[in-house]
Amino acid sequence: MPDFSLSPEQQSLRDLARRFARSEMAPHAAECDRTGRFPEEIYRKAYELGLMNLNVPTEYGGSGLGAVDQCLIVEELAHACGGMTTSVIANCLALEPILLGGTPEQKDRILKPFCAEYHLASFCLTEPSGGSDAGGLKTRARRDGDGYVLDGEKCFITNAPHASLYTVFATVDPNLRHKGITAFAIPRSAEGVTPGKDEEKMGHRASSTSTVRFDGVRVPAADRLGEEGEGFSLAMRTLDQTRTPIGALATGIAQAALDHAAAYALKRQTFGKPIAEHQAIQIKLANMAQAVHAARLLTWHAAWTIERGAKGTLESSIAKCFASDAALHVADEAIQTFGGYGYMKEYPVEKLLRDAKLTQIYEGANEIQRTVIARELLLEYA
Amino acid sequence: MEIVVCVKPVPDAETRLRASPDGRTLDPEAVKFVLAGYDESAVEQALLLKEAVPGTKVHAVAYGPAPRTEEVLRSAVALGCDQATWVDSGPDATGDPIVAARALAGAIAGLAHDLVLCGKQAGDDESGLVASALGALLSVPDFSCVVDLRWDAATSRFRFQRPVEAGLESWTSPTPFVVGLQQAWNDPRTAKLPAILKSRKATIGRATAAAGTGGESRPEKFELPPPRTGAKMIEYRTPQEAAEKLVRILREEAKVFP
Ligand SMILES: Cc1cc2nc3c(=O)[nH]c(=O)nc-3n(C[C@H](O)[C@H](O)[C@H](O)COP(=O)(O)OP(=O)(O)OC[C@H]3O[C@@H](n4cnc5c(N)ncnc54)[C@H](O)[C@@H]3O)c2cc1C
Repeated sequence: MPDFSLSPEQQSLRDLARRFARSEMAPHAAECDRTGRFPEEIYRKAYELGLMNLNVPTEYGGSGLGAVDQCLIVEELAHACGGMTTSVIANCLALEPILLGGTPEQKDRILKPFCAEYHLASFCLTEPSGGSDAGGLKTRARRDGDGYVLDGEKCFITNAPHASLYTVFATVDPNLRHKGITAFAIPRSAEGVTPGKDEEKMGHRASSTSTVRFDGVRVPAADRLGEEGEGFSLAMRTLDQTRTPIGALATGIAQAALDHAAAYALKRQTFGKPIAEHQAIQIKLANMAQAVHAARLLTWHAAWTIERGAKGTLESSIAKCFASDAALHVADEAIQTFGGYGYMKEYPVEKLLRDAKLTQIYEGANEIQRTVIARELLLEYA
Repeated sequence: MEIVVCVKPVPDAETRLRASPDGRTLDPEAVKFVLAGYDESAVEQALLLKEAVPGTKVHAVAYGPAPRTEEVLRSAVALGCDQATWVDSGPDATGDPIVAARALAGAIAGLAHDLVLCGKQAGDDESGLVASALGALLSVPDFSCVVDLRWDAATSRFRFQRPVEAGLESWTSPTPFVVGLQQAWNDPRTAKLPAILKSRKATIGRATAAAGTGGESRPEKFELPPPRTGAKMIEYRTPQEAAEKLVRILREEAKVFP
């Protein structure tokens, strides 16, 4: 029988994340949302508590957590602030290609010093000409002596202005499409690496997103991750691992929206009673609760599947797609529950809608998730 | 130096409480128990002393039922305590502070202890008796409401202060002695993730509660305060508007002013 109870260890990890989220993140969420400030002191504290490099094995200085434990933590963090959570977990995304494709020597040389101190890393796949069609990326890696020279531009890269390490996907031959894509680990200090300026975003405003230019950047062959042409598969296998935590992030936003809506509904009076006693609001809350619960269980199930060693492409796509749609819907209904106050920036729920929106777009837009779900599904019927 | 720090699992402040089916106590079923309040400060103080005085070891001791007592000891280990001992109360303990002190004293007597640190009172019953009772049972001095607890290597004594009604008393004491701590030098630290994972594998020592007489008090009835009624939330956009609405309510509805 599947077991939905959390072990004492999992409860204590969740308690740690909850405590950090409530005491360190939540008090600054509204301010960072308003100003777009990147609260690096909070990210530093997250690192110090071990909440940052969750997926990196302890032998390389990470927290060495499995998929389920990662989801428990990410949901708690996102309950306090989606944007901060995106920045806290960006290292997991950026380091995963090294974990999956790096040699033991590369892991020792790159991950150990990186994880030994507070550092940020960025995953550089998306380009201005396209994110969904990653096989068509244009950043070039030309062979040169015992290494490569990279030229091109990436965009929408989380934490890029603050990162000291980039995992970059480039092609050795655009005519080969997917088969030409190759992954590299490139330090910020390499000559010709230039992050752009922070984008103004609709939500996740405590996170930082920018372009990164690579102009004649020399990369030794020793910093290539996997073989030439293995980059596309490495990117997809990375996203198979990190998609589920995005489902957890969306679940955290949705839970926050439900919490705010239910508390407000008990307090706000119309027609002589709390709006929670009007059936229309009760139905709203009941539907929101169902969506949050289903999102959480799908996320746990995907994480459990992955922990058992399966690829989990179908399960993680379903979890990410469902949870992000649920988050948008629940945030929308929370605003509706608040009425006019919900539309005001002074109240916390309109931020949740803006934050929820991103979860439908990044780490594979939901249209792509549905394409993947349908493909995996139809395989079973063919 | 050997420090023993006594901790008690208490309900998390965010837990919703309810009475047990027999109506005598709090229903532990739905409650999350944590290390909190003065006990958390006592652990922090023990760890600060450990950092300040080389060679210091901190041993956490707790008396209570499974599984919460073991959990609270694991929290103490995750924070940095070197060892932990659980004195099992069995499931039906009444929570009498003298019984608790006797059980703790029995365990502590068998451990090296220069300093026994307790919170000045537990976060749940707030009876504030255990530290003094431990002093009596261990036949050593005890002080409650202690702040600014420091080891003075030159005199081999502890120095500390006690805020009293009219001011601040300064004391010194030889070891061993018992302290009911009011405040540590710092806010309690947060355990880090790797330490939490490691604490799950720590061995928690076991001791059996010492037998004895006295302390047979037991609670008769446990009631939650009746739900508060009549609270009125004032919605406002400016402090001016809040004040105007408040004055109107005080005048017209509460009739406090003519
Ligand atoms: C705040 C933020 C942070 C990000 N962080 C990172 C990061 O750290 N690293 C990184 O590499 N990327 C990052 N991204 C990029 C993100 O992953 C892409 O935006 C996303 O993959 C979509 O790519 P695109 O924006 O180019 O849209 P496009 O690929 O141009 O898609 C446009 C629309 O068409 C749909 N569409 C495209 N192809 C198909 C198809 N075949 N069938 C049906 N519909 C289709 C898409 O779903 C979308 O709705 C981030 C984006 C944002 C906004």
